[in-house]
Amino acid sequence: MAALSSQFADLVEIKKQLTVIIALCRERGLMHSVKWASELAFALDPLPMNELPPPPPFTEEDAQDLDAYSLAKSFFDLKEYDRAAYFLRGCRSQKAYFLYMYSRYLSGEKKKDDETVDSLGPLEKGQVKNESLRELRVELSKKHKARELDGFGLYLYGVVLRKLDLLKEAIDVFVEATHCLPLHWGAWLELCNLVENKEMLKSMSFPDTWMKDFFLAHIYTEMQMIEEALQKYQSLINVGFSKSTYIISQIAVAYHNIRDIDKALSMFNELREQDPYRIENMDTFSNLLYVRTMKPELSYLAHNLCDIDKYRVETCCVIGNYYSLRSQHEKAALYFQRALKLNPRCLGAWTLMGHEYMEMKNTSAAIQAYRHAIEVNKRDYRAWYGLGQTYEILKMPFYCLYYYRRAHQLRPNDSRMLVALGECYEKLNQLVEATKCYWRAYSVGDVERMALVKLAKLHEQLNESDHPAQCYVIYIKEIFECGELMEQVELSTAFRYLGQYYFKNKQYDDASICAQRCCNYNDAREEGKSLLRQISQVRGQGETSSSDLSLPFIFGPLSAKNTPVRRMSPLNLSSVTP
Amino acid sequence: MASVHESLYFNPMMTNGVVHANVFGVKDWVTPYKITVLMLLDEMTISTSITLLDRRRLNKLILPLLQSPDMTLSQLIKTVEDSCPQLAYTVHLRLQLMADGELKDMEHFFDMLPSPFNETESEAHKTSVVGLFMRHMVLAYNKLSFSQVYKLYTALQQYYQSYERKDSPAAEPAEDTDMELTNTEELGGKMEKEELDLEPSDDEVSTRGPLSQKQAEYFLAQQAYLLKNDENKALDPAALQKELNNMLKFNPDFAEAHYLSYLNSMRVQDIFNSTDSLLHYFDRLILPGGDSKSNGDEGCGRSLRYAALNLAALHCRFGHYEQAELALQEAIRIAQESNDHVCLQHCLSWLYLLEQMKGSDSTLTEHAVKMAVHFCLPYLASLGIQSLVQQGAVGGKTANKLMDALKDTDLLHWKHSLSELIDISIAQKTAIWRMYGKSTMALQQAQVLLSMNSLEPVNLGVQQNNSEAFAVALCHLSELHAEQGLFAAASEILKHLRERFPPHSQHAKLWMLCDQKIQFDRAMNDGKYHMADSLVVGIAALSKTEGLYRKALVLKAQNQTTEAYKVLQRLLLYCEKIKGTEMTIRVMLSLAELHWSSSCHAVALPLLLRSLAVSREYHLQYLASECILHLAFSQLMLGIPEQALNILHMAIEPILAHGALLDKGRAMLLVAKCQIVTASSEPSKQQKTQALEVAVQNLEEAGTYFTKVDCKERVRDIYYLQARLYHSLGKTAERNKCAMLFRQHNQELPSQGVPLITRL
Repeated sequence: MAALSSQFADLVEIKKQLTVIIALCRERGLMHSVKWASELAFALDPLPMNELPPPPPFTEEDAQDLDAYSLAKSFFDLKEYDRAAYFLRGCRSQKAYFLYMYSRYLSGEKKKDDETVDSLGPLEKGQVKNESLRELRVELSKKHKARELDGFGLYLYGVVLRKLDLLKEAIDVFVEATHCLPLHWGAWLELCNLVENKEMLKSMSFPDTWMKDFFLAHIYTEMQMIEEALQKYQSLINVGFSKSTYIISQIAVAYHNIRDIDKALSMFNELREQDPYRIENMDTFSNLLYVRTMKPELSYLAHNLCDIDKYRVETCCVIGNYYSLRSQHEKAALYFQRALKLNPRCLGAWTLMGHEYMEMKNTSAAIQAYRHAIEVNKRDYRAWYGLGQTYEILKMPFYCLYYYRRAHQLRPNDSRMLVALGECYEKLNQLVEATKCYWRAYSVGDVERMALVKLAKLHEQLNESDHPAQCYVIYIKEIFECGELMEQVELSTAFRYLGQYYFKNKQYDDASICAQRCCNYNDAREEGKSLLRQISQVRGQGETSSSDLSLPFIFGPLSAKNTPVRRMSPLNLSSVTP
Repeated sequence: MASVHESLYFNPMMTNGVVHANVFGVKDWVTPYKITVLMLLDEMTISTSITLLDRRRLNKLILPLLQSPDMTLSQLIKTVEDSCPQLAYTVHLRLQLMADGELKDMEHFFDMLPSPFNETESEAHKTSVVGLFMRHMVLAYNKLSFSQVYKLYTALQQYYQSYERKDSPAAEPAEDTDMELTNTEELGGKMEKEELDLEPSDDEVSTRGPLSQKQAEYFLAQQAYLLKNDENKALDPAALQKELNNMLKFNPDFAEAHYLSYLNSMRVQDIFNSTDSLLHYFDRLILPGGDSKSNGDEGCGRSLRYAALNLAALHCRFGHYEQAELALQEAIRIAQESNDHVCLQHCLSWLYLLEQMKGSDSTLTEHAVKMAVHFCLPYLASLGIQSLVQQGAVGGKTANKLMDALKDTDLLHWKHSLSELIDISIAQKTAIWRMYGKSTMALQQAQVLLSMNSLEPVNLGVQQNNSEAFAVALCHLSELHAEQGLFAAASEILKHLRERFPPHSQHAKLWMLCDQKIQFDRAMNDGKYHMADSLVVGIAALSKTEGLYRKALVLKAQNQTTEAYKVLQRLLLYCEKIKGTEMTIRVMLSLAELHWSSSCHAVALPLLLRSLAVSREYHLQYLASECILHLAFSQLMLGIPEQALNILHMAIEPILAHGALLDKGRAMLLVAKCQIVTASSEPSKQQKTQALEVAVQNLEEAGTYFTKVDCKERVRDIYYLQARLYHSLGKTAERNKCAMLFRQHNQELPSQGVPLITRL
């Protein structure tokens, strides 16, 4: 996995290539690709004067079109697309042709946005189309057939196809574009949005360049294949991109996705140090701060971003999070709404707004918000989970099963959904199903560490004596391994149960250890003492066992010898209804 | 008898069985199509030269024009031309003038428009449909912004030009598509080909104008109505889903579309999509309740209750009874918490239905019915009564009580015009009469249902007639015809059923079972046991008990007595457990027949007496006669033919009046046999001859019955008996004829079955 393209050996060459592509993209007005490439180039050592790559070759055609091109480019930069296109018509050089088509495309997009505001009615809203797309497609496909398109032309053709919802054709064209001009990040990025799953990714053939590694790392992050993504990024850093803010931000996002909060936070802090005026990804950062309830940091971030640019979606989300943390949910909802006004397709804001409404106990509004989030992206597990929670609050455990199941489908290895499912089944008195859920939640790595206790309690309810003991033992072991002593209540119940259990099974040594531990907790102290008394009574009657009660607290003997730790394959959650 | 009221699923768009789309208020805007319609209306008021007949036709045309989705100009002109060619020409001309002219023309048009309606008492009153439409349009036009007005005008020009282009170069395709213009709902599917694309594009893109809110609502209501009443006339599932997806893509808040999508997915048994749509619908649904805390909460809570209830209904439809029960419990809990008795009543009905489907015997108490009446839920109340009647019928209540109860519910139905329930009630009567064995009455009731005019307004040319009640009645009808040997008629009815309830639909199982049963009976009559055996699997898939019973019949016919006995014993236990009285009696009769074949006639007697007692207790008259027939046969075999003849008199009358042809034949044959046996003990020769001649006649009659139902084996045996009788009567010619016929038949079929003498 870590094997990178061999081209990474020659960073100078890569730097040269980046410099070239930056110039090319800038000439064509592809600013996002310029930004990406420049960011990378900045991370590499500067080239000495004599190593600088020569400017791209200047053809006869370019010379002819030069004046028209410079005029049009200035219009283009000033967002006067129609005007730019007008002066570029008839130009024959590749560069001018691309700019010509690109301005026509952008003009159409701009008009579409304007039209949407002006549309006649709600049902018509979605039907406003970029009128120029069809013409562009026709012209570009002619050129494409005649093989006259360069890498940029192919990219534009792909974009047009994607906008026309011809996704299959678009993917083919983008792949072709990456082969033709591998350095253009825009084409790769489009592919990231179009590739839906691993199989699809495997079936495609990409040019074997160093760009491919960046692409793969990016798409792994998108597809939640975090392990692979992190490996890729780590090896990229090792190769020499350690200063790249792009990579740092991607790693931070990846850690966020697997909920490794500490690492993600440290990455974000590093990012902020290197690039203090960055706004991108800061909403993710604020989510992390929120989860950790780091109020001062979040407040600082919010104020800082607000100073930089207060009319950015990310800024609004950060401020929303800030208010939410301060329990000012109305204001928080207001800021999320503002974020949505700035970009209605902003997925995170919808979900967060749903959360806020939930806090405000406005369930119907919350449901609406979550539904909107799902509308934007069907694969948003948080929205499904949120819907489930809403209905759970409305005391409809059966109804919310469906939503939790959807969330679980999207994140099969997330214990929170499984615990939620288990709780619902428990409420519906389907204890067997519930145990399956809890066990599975434990098997996939329980975040909140509640699954085992719940499982144990369920087994107690089912009147099984061994299973709860096993669960408690594993639970106690885990807690002590982590060294966290937060959930004392549950620990005391665990010890209490185990003490009784061992006492019943006549394992008095273990029982007394547990009873002693019970005495450490307020709520179980009395029971622990009485159990100790009972034990000594029984011992007094029976054989005098050589008990050394000064065992240090290691549960080694307890669990390894006497208690059969359940080694069960994670059960399939039988989905009773689809 | 399948439960007659499975269609009781609550639909929030429905009150008393009528589907209403939610009315959101005015959401309409001006499109080129609507401008053209306005012109048409304007012309109609101005023009004086339209004849009365034309005017009437035009008036009839207006409403569909206002409600339907936007048509292309060629379609519109064609439609108008059918009513009044002259007017179509004027409208065309005016549109041409406007489209070829300037923006000013359109503005002028709208300026001029209101005058004929406001000034004097004109034809279109302010609040009439047309008046409202015009005022909406003027209002919508006045609201348009500067750029929108221009956009509208260019749209108008394009609208006209696309018509011109289509019209001028080749008239054929236009005419081709206009063939189905009379069918209004087809118009929705029409798609205009993209003109802008110079190359022929491979992707089909609908350029039909977007639906306005009103049109969308009308579309939904129409389709929902069709789905409910005549599924075949609605758009087919794929097309409808496409349309809905289209609608939802542009306006996901349009909750009703989700509900229709749910119904549509149910049509094709797609549980995944239907669950998704249903939940989505309730997520989107905000019942009108205002913003105030209590009020809004109430609305939300209400939708929650019904959401859970609908989920229960969904699971019930897919046969997930456990899930359905959980959902129902949830609905009940929430309804209880918020004191919603109406919802609770709905839940109660469902609970009862669910229990019934799960096979456990639950009783809907009369109290529930009273409560339903108390809360003014006539629908639920009479459904309750109908369930009670069904229970009573199966439980052996007397007919007069049942019919009385049904009469009472009928009163309720007619009072509240619950036409669906009237249908159910009649179907239930059919079923009850059939169960009692009064085939004539059953036939009459079925005919009443089929030829009755529904109470509901005949919408879109569709009578409400694809409810379960109709399916049940038609199935009975076909079975009744088959019993009388009218197989062609029966299969005709089945063919109709197949068309009306296509195999994927909800009630298709009814006719499938009925079809297979008829085929099975025919195969058995014909002696083709292997064919019958192959049908058993199909029957068993649809009904377990019926399948087992038929399996036993085949085994019995193939002389596999032991196996048949085992199956029947098992079935008997099962039927007694689930209290399937009819089937129990049938099984007992078959068991008795098995005993005969091993010549244990005495053993069969207690069984027969028991079945006779049971069938009398439950007033199953026909089965009782059947029992008597069996008893008589046993007595005959035990050598007391006089006694047999005595009790036969009781049975012969109902059998001849109501029975199936086969049973009639069997009865006559038995009579004849008894007569033959008694004749031998007659003292005088003459009396003996007389008795034998009567027997011959009876045999003849039985023979004709058997021939009608293709019962070749039995016919052969009849010939044999007749030949013997003629022989003993000394009628040689007749004897020879019968003997020859017997020989013919005997050559055709291998003799394998139970010999005649030991069989009823």
